Formats: sequence, structure tokens, C-alpha cells
Amino acid sequence: MKPVMTFALMTLRNLLRRRAIWGISIVILISLFGIGQIPSYGVSNEGRFILDFGLFGLEIGALLLAIGLASNIYPRDRERKTVMPIIAVPLSRGQYLMGRFVGAAIVEAAAMLVGCIGLMIILIINGHAVPADMLPATGLLLVEGWFLLAVVFFFSFWTSPPLNAPLTVLLFIVSQMSVAGFIKLFPQAPGLMRTLRLLLPHMDVFHIKDPIAHGIDIPGLYFFLAMLYGLAYMAFMLSIALAIFRSKDLK
Amino acid sequence: MKLSAVILVTAVVLLSLTCKADYDITEVASPEHLETDHPHEHDEYELEDAEHGESDHEHEAESVETGSVHDESLEHDVSDISGSDRHVHGAGERNHGTGWFFNQPWAASFIWGKMVRDSVILIILAAAIFITSGYRRKRK
Repeated sequence: MKPVMTFALMTLRNLLRRRAIWGISIVILISLFGIGQIPSYGVSNEGRFILDFGLFGLEIGALLLAIGLASNIYPRDRERKTVMPIIAVPLSRGQYLMGRFVGAAIVEAAAMLVGCIGLMIILIINGHAVPADMLPATGLLLVEGWFLLAVVFFFSFWTSPPLNAPLTVLLFIVSQMSVAGFIKLFPQAPGLMRTLRLLLPHMDVFHIKDPIAHGIDIPGLYFFLAMLYGLAYMAFMLSIALAIFRSKDLK
Repeated sequence: MKLSAVILVTAVVLLSLTCKADYDITEVASPEHLETDHPHEHDEYELEDAEHGESDHEHEAESVETGSVHDESLEHDVSDISGSDRHVHGAGERNHGTGWFFNQPWAASFIWGKMVRDSVILIILAAAIFITSGYRRKRK
């Protein structure tokens, strides 16, 4: 565990030196600020809109961060040939993947926390109450972001970085669809489409912005189950990524 | 090779279990859950429709014209609301046309068990893939 954490901290320092991460984080904060500036035109419950759009912005931010953080890590290591000495002696391939993943996950968590606090400040500045479920809702979006991070790592082991981003975005979009909606994409083969959809995750599990915006309490058990589901899917994607990485000949 | 085949078969069996009972809420929900009309509102409208043959919106418009407040919420103060906004529901109460809202996983507790089932299956699969790929790597 200690080698993984040491390597994760190395990855963390490495990622924080990249300008792309700071750029994405600043764009998220500017977007949240912009959402707070939308005039209400006298419509009551303006806070609902700020909260709804703000949490949606955080979700898109989690997707962009996952792509920005992880799509280049392994290809860059391989291009610079730094991956070979690392996995030759001090780390196994599994420890390499976990170290890289944990480092990127820490950066994503910090960015989401800053985004959540930013949204809270915008709500307070506009005179709206901050819902009690705001932090758990951000926690669910963070788990979704970690899952997307695992997906990006999975794609990075067998695709090029330019292809990684559209594939991840595509998976993000189709994972939001219901089974019926997904079948309508290609109604000629409903059985195939149903099977394909059932292999994809249900991202709607992580969406609780609607009830929060409308003041509906969410049971604590649901947060726990949704986090369990997200972490289980994340572990599944990481295991597939590791299986591909282990089968690769790096010479 | 044999171990890989066993893992593959196990994965297919586990996934087929998932396929048989997915939690697309509109497919697995009971009719009671999919019912989105407000119960007493529905009865009231049925009665009115039987008597006058008027639609819901005509009913609302009429109540606005006559000044009678059609208030369904004890929590909301509707004194400052006018026009069609007088049709008010409390937080969490179902209204017509809001089926999508209550067909989200947080509101459909009958699929939570399926979330647990899928989580367990995914963790088992992850462990199986991790062990198998490590075994194959060692054999290389």
C-alpha cells in the first residue's frame, strides 16, 4: 500500500503542474459564477435554478476533469519511456495503475469540493438557503467522476488520446439513457440494443439534483447504495483496465 | 486457459442474471408507482367532468375567474400567486405530467435492491478479472 500512496503523491504533484487541470477548474468556477448571475426576472424560487444548473455544471466538470486528468497519463509515460523503469523494479503493473488512479482521484475530489463550496457561496450571495444534501449530492457526482476516471484509464490502454475523449463522452451520454430510449437508437435489433444497454452503467443513479432543488429529502440509505454502485462499477472498469495493461507488451 | 474459461462462463451467467431483471424503472415499476395524478385532485376532476364536461385547465381558469383559491398545499402561502400559478402542490406531492420526476432511482425504492445486486455482481466480476489477469501474467 505504501508504494501505491508514494506513487499517487508523485502523480498528484505531476498533475498539479499541468496547466490543463487549472484551466478546467477555472472554467468550472467561471461557469458557476455565470449561473449565479442569470437574472430571475421576478420568478420565485430562483435558487432552484441556480442549484439545478450548478450541480449539472459540476457533473460536466467531473467529466471534463476525468478526461483532462487521465487521458494523457499512460500514453505520455509510454512515449517518454518512463513506464518501463517504473514497472521494472519498484512497482507492479497493478500498483502503477492504482498509483496513477489514486493521484488523479485526489485531484478530482479537490476540484469537486472547490466547485461545491463555490456553488454554496453563490447561493448565499444570492440570498438562498444552502440545502443540507448539497455535500452528499456532490459526493455522488464525485463517485461518478471517479467512475469516469476509471473509464478514461481503461480507454487509454488501448486507444490514442484523441479517441479517448470522444469514446468517454459517448459512454457518458448513452449511460444517461433509459433502456427504451437506447433501443430507439437502433430499433431494428432490440435484443442486441437491450443487451448492450444492460452492460452499461445507469448514471441516473447519481442524479439527485432534482429532488434537492425541490426541497425533497433523500434517505441516507440511498446515498450509501448509490455510492456502493458507483464504486463497484469503478472497481470493475479498473480491473478490466488492469487486465489489458497486464497483457500488453511494452517493449 | 481452463481458469479463464470458468471465469468467462461465470461472468456470462452473472450478467445474464442482471439482464433478466434490469432496473429501468418505467419497465419494472408497479402501476401504482407509475400513477402520477394527484388522488383527490383526480376524483374531484372526474366529478366535475361528469357534471360539466369541462377539462382540468378550464376548471383552473374558472376558479381563477371566480376568485376561489384551489389550494392543495398546507405549507405554501398562495396569496401572492395569481393566474395558472394557483394550482400549487406541496414539495414531494405528485402532479400530472411529473412521472419522469418520480421515475428516478432516488424515488423508486423498489429498485434499490437491484442496485445492491448489481454492485455485488460487479465486485465479484472485478475480483475474478483481477485474479485471472494476474494468474495469466505470472504464467507468461
